[in-house]
Amino acid sequence: MTEVDDSDGDRSRDEVLAAEYAVGVLSLADRKRLQARIEREPAFALLVARWEDRLSPLEPDGEEMPPRTVYPKIEARLFGPPMTAAAAHGGWWHSVALWRGVAFASLAALVAMAAVQQGLFGPATRPEPLVASMTGEGSPLALLASYDAASGRIAVTPVAADAGQPRALQLWMVPGGDAAPVPLGVLPQDGRGMIEVPAALRATLGDGMTLAVSVEPPGGSPIGLPTGPVIAAGQARHP
Amino acid sequence: MPSLDIAGLITKVALGDRAALASLYSAVSPKLFAICLRILKDRADAEDALQDVFVKIWQRADRYAATGVNPNGWLAAIARNQAIDMIRARRPAADTIGDEGLDIADGSPDPEAVSIGLGEGRRIDRCMGELAPERADAVRNAYVEGLSYQELAERYSVPLNTMRTWLRRSLLKLKECLER
Repeated sequence: MTEVDDSDGDRSRDEVLAAEYAVGVLSLADRKRLQARIEREPAFALLVARWEDRLSPLEPDGEEMPPRTVYPKIEARLFGPPMTAAAAHGGWWHSVALWRGVAFASLAALVAMAAVQQGLFGPATRPEPLVASMTGEGSPLALLASYDAASGRIAVTPVAADAGQPRALQLWMVPGGDAAPVPLGVLPQDGRGMIEVPAALRATLGDGMTLAVSVEPPGGSPIGLPTGPVIAAGQARHP
Repeated sequence: MPSLDIAGLITKVALGDRAALASLYSAVSPKLFAICLRILKDRADAEDALQDVFVKIWQRADRYAATGVNPNGWLAAIARNQAIDMIRARRPAADTIGDEGLDIADGSPDPEAVSIGLGEGRRIDRCMGELAPERADAVRNAYVEGLSYQELAERYSVPLNTMRTWLRRSLLKLKECLER
């Protein structure tokens, strides 16, 4: 290798390493080292992708049907426990009904907590708001409650839990019947942001309209309909 | 399913579309399961591998567009890499990154200037035919069965370093032929 300069030497070495990785002959430790390089070096990742592409015609034809049990396991790993049968069969409305109970239960817990805090600390004894983060095992949602003792008010902000997998919470208007849910916006994950209801929808948003929140990929549902579980729902009423 | 449709499904999966993941699974899982099974030679292991493969597809779909490669090849590579990592963990092989076989002129143009041949068809067969039969055989067995250098050396009864030199030279010759 004395006649080639270092950069060429590195390049042809990388070319060979990429080929060996793509064929698959290396040890696990060597493969892990190269996988780390693929993650951080786009140029090396491209060399590997080209080798994988180049060699792919060597793959023999042939298919083998995997057992039916595999895909539900994949879904459970990616999206959590499966929804109810009704929800899985497209009964979005049923899942709203299912989760409505959860939303009411959470609210009841909050009211109870407010009463306890009021009793413990009394009004205006602490300038800092009291903050509680409420989560449930396996739940994709957490609620952040912030209690301002001075005003006696609790502000509740939903936050998508499970920080390992970024997700967004999307607010929907659910007209009911056969009408599809209408997306109103993606909830801010921190702070108490506002969602501005599109002007065209304001006339229909009145007493009795159901509002619901679903868990979606970052940025909201890509298809304009809820794709993730509905985690809260309730009817709008004038107080 | 045509590769254009598969590419479209991968793009939707990158946007977090679960229905697209389910469609992609229906379309390609028999092929990817066959790949895992061929390398792992155990159904339970291959089922575990297939789960990991689709978790990775979901997580990495956004990187697919950057590669510009054939979508079926991209998916097959995820399956092969998963199965090979699993089999290596089970049947450890000696670390083998060395310098044998590196001292040959690459002779190829700048990699950036080389376009990837989509639909290479059976051109690979012609290029494999230019290698000595035993060496072409070693490349094919390594690829299809996911054999390690060590296992290849044992199968062909040659020292490990010799196998490494064989394989490296064969691969570079193959690349040179495919780009001709």
